[in-house]
Amino acid sequence: MSPQPRIFVTGIGVVCAGANNVAELRALLASPRRDFRSPTVFPCQGATTNLPAAEVTGLDTSQVGEAPRTHRLALLAAREALGEGPPPDAIVLGTTTGGIFATETALQAGSASPADYRYHGLDTVALHLADALNVRGPVLTISTACSSAAVAMSVAQALLRAGLARRVLAGGADALCRLTFHGFRTLQLLAPEGCTPLDTNRAGMTVGEGAGFLVLEPTPDKRPILALLSGTGLSCDAYHASSPHPEGAGAAQAMRRALEDAGIEPSAIDYVNLHGTGTVDNDAAEAKAIRQVFGLTLPALSSTKGLTGHPLAAAGAIEAVISVVAMTEGLMPANTGLDIVDPRLGLSPVLAPTRARINAVLSNSFGFGGNNACLVLSAPPAKLPVENPKVVSRPLPALRIAGSACLTAMGGLDETWNALVAGQSAAGFVPDAAFSKAVQAAFVRRLKRLPRLILALAQTAHATSGERTPPDFIAVGTAWGPLAETQDFLRKLFETAEQFSSPTDFIGSVHNAPAGQVALLLGATAPNLTCSAGDRSFSQALLCASLGVAAGAKSALVIAAEAHEARLSPLFDPGAATGPQASDGGAAFVLVPDDAKPGPRMRWLGEYRDLKLLQEHPTAPYDAILAGVPASLAADAAERLAELTAAVSPCLLVTFRDRLGQHASVGATAAALAARAVLEGALPFASTPIPLPNKRLLLLELGPRVAAIEVFA
Amino acid sequence: MTEQTDSLLPELARKLVETLGLDMAPESVDPDAPLIGAGLGIDSIDTLELVVMIDKDYGVKIDNRAAGVEAFASLNALATFIRQHRPASPA
Repeated sequence: MSPQPRIFVTGIGVVCAGANNVAELRALLASPRRDFRSPTVFPCQGATTNLPAAEVTGLDTSQVGEAPRTHRLALLAAREALGEGPPPDAIVLGTTTGGIFATETALQAGSASPADYRYHGLDTVALHLADALNVRGPVLTISTACSSAAVAMSVAQALLRAGLARRVLAGGADALCRLTFHGFRTLQLLAPEGCTPLDTNRAGMTVGEGAGFLVLEPTPDKRPILALLSGTGLSCDAYHASSPHPEGAGAAQAMRRALEDAGIEPSAIDYVNLHGTGTVDNDAAEAKAIRQVFGLTLPALSSTKGLTGHPLAAAGAIEAVISVVAMTEGLMPANTGLDIVDPRLGLSPVLAPTRARINAVLSNSFGFGGNNACLVLSAPPAKLPVENPKVVSRPLPALRIAGSACLTAMGGLDETWNALVAGQSAAGFVPDAAFSKAVQAAFVRRLKRLPRLILALAQTAHATSGERTPPDFIAVGTAWGPLAETQDFLRKLFETAEQFSSPTDFIGSVHNAPAGQVALLLGATAPNLTCSAGDRSFSQALLCASLGVAAGAKSALVIAAEAHEARLSPLFDPGAATGPQASDGGAAFVLVPDDAKPGPRMRWLGEYRDLKLLQEHPTAPYDAILAGVPASLAADAAERLAELTAAVSPCLLVTFRDRLGQHASVGATAAALAARAVLEGALPFASTPIPLPNKRLLLLELGPRVAAIEVFA
Repeated sequence: MTEQTDSLLPELARKLVETLGLDMAPESVDPDAPLIGAGLGIDSIDTLELVVMIDKDYGVKIDNRAAGVEAFASLNALATFIRQHRPASPA
């Protein structure tokens, strides 16, 4: 493989408990003091009265508008990272809470107005940034619980290496909300006196909040270079929905992958910023993983969560900023909050801020679903300008579809195909019988609709592919995530004056919970991503998987699905979730590198701010354009479709949601049927089958941004 | 055994099966078998689910490992634990 271009960090921005910008973070790391207290953003009563959180205070939000807290935190940190520099051409954001704080407030008030829920989608955070910062290219959202921002860094690195962007704003944001605070409380994971990572008497974590961003570019402009993002490593435990692997196997694997990607030995690491949440299990497993990777000579290490709390999806980004500051300042951050080091851990953390030259840092982030992401950041080379292998901008290679599955109101792929051929519509909700038998009852006992749909899709696609080994890469797309779990958790919480709710529902409510279940089902310890970007969720999962294959994965499992939830779906996505077209379901694909074998192919083409940008790409002789028009855009549909016809060389236009129904991941279903159609030579999406002489279809999702995929044989 | 135990035990068996979505009849839960582990397939998340249910429905907190070991030794042990720690109910 040719040498990878180096990725430079040219900007950093941060907001977290105790520091509202980088200058304050520097001061905080030099003189650590923490101020954990009961949250003020929502009332706490009864058993939760004195339970501390790590809240951001003293924000100047005059410049960031009326959006929810996560959005505000994100924009503040993003603006700081970008400074006076040009806008990025892509954003990769990790978040788990999105606008749920506003949703909780609206639900509690009994609001039935969808306008009050317009910020619920995780995608709204990154789109908020894209609008404010004038971003033309892909706007990606990764949601893998507490590893989200570190995974986002890895995706940003892959985008840059593939030449799909020149300047990426990558980071994460999460705000305090009732769901996460009470969720971790029901798991008995919140430390009554605040977290004390690595302490022998540690009693849990402290939920924090904040945002962090890095500006990443392979060809830096004139700004000073702060650091390099030298390597990233992802893995999945495939062990348990919420508990880490007790021996830290997945964590060690992610650390090794990051070191290998950076091309350095463990001994080159001067400092490790631990995940170090302060829970008994995390710290024990992480310590074992550290000792496996580094052997007898451990680098300096500390957890900074005793200072910042645990900012969940933002943690990996805030800690990446801390790692950069540690190198630029020559300062080892202290393991704040520690009294007596737990002797069972076998670690000697940095007890007080220590001056030292730091050339390379490893930063760890681990999340629910056994989702692990590690970053290696390095000090910039002494001499500039730097020779850097040229990044060649070219389309991602096509992938061969080795196996596929879909679920619609008609059933699986064959039933759906036959119904369409017979002139029927496949709109509606997936009947239980279509997916309930795919996976053993005992395995799915605690799972609700979305994970069950996704497991059935994964099982069927994997089985039809004939692959005997677990996939090398898993990417799931879902706009709304596990809604039944979210609804049930909040309902139980509000019914009991915010005293009780279900730990099972909390664990199940994170967007990557279904992907974690897929890893468990298939025994897949490979990178495991969940993308949540409205109608572009499938496209983004396909993009991530394609980047994974470009980096050497031998097979990738891509799944996108939505599960209708009676109360929340009509509030969140009213156009799609009400009326005769209301639907759910999705599709899955096993994708392998393009080889000589026959069969349909799929290629991610791009994601654009407007349709005119499609013209920048050469168009193949498509037989038809399959356009997904979300119900929310129905008013503008005619105008958008006219724009589309003008933008792409003339060919037949088919709006597939008329036949397949309305839900955010129905584009995946359309792709599964398109793959069948290019083999059969005809597309049954109209009153008479459309012949496909070129066996090539362009698939577009027309949401707030346009996603383009091609399917051909 | 008192009548109190007799009414609490089937109630707990029913709540156990309902709360955890177990595919079995409440009567078939062996009152003396360990609750956690291989038999019923109950793991740490299920245990926390029971902890929340017991706090909410009986006002009894199980917030440390020792209490958990005692309370979840069996369905009978759980009934005993609840009776011992239950706050005096208002008349």
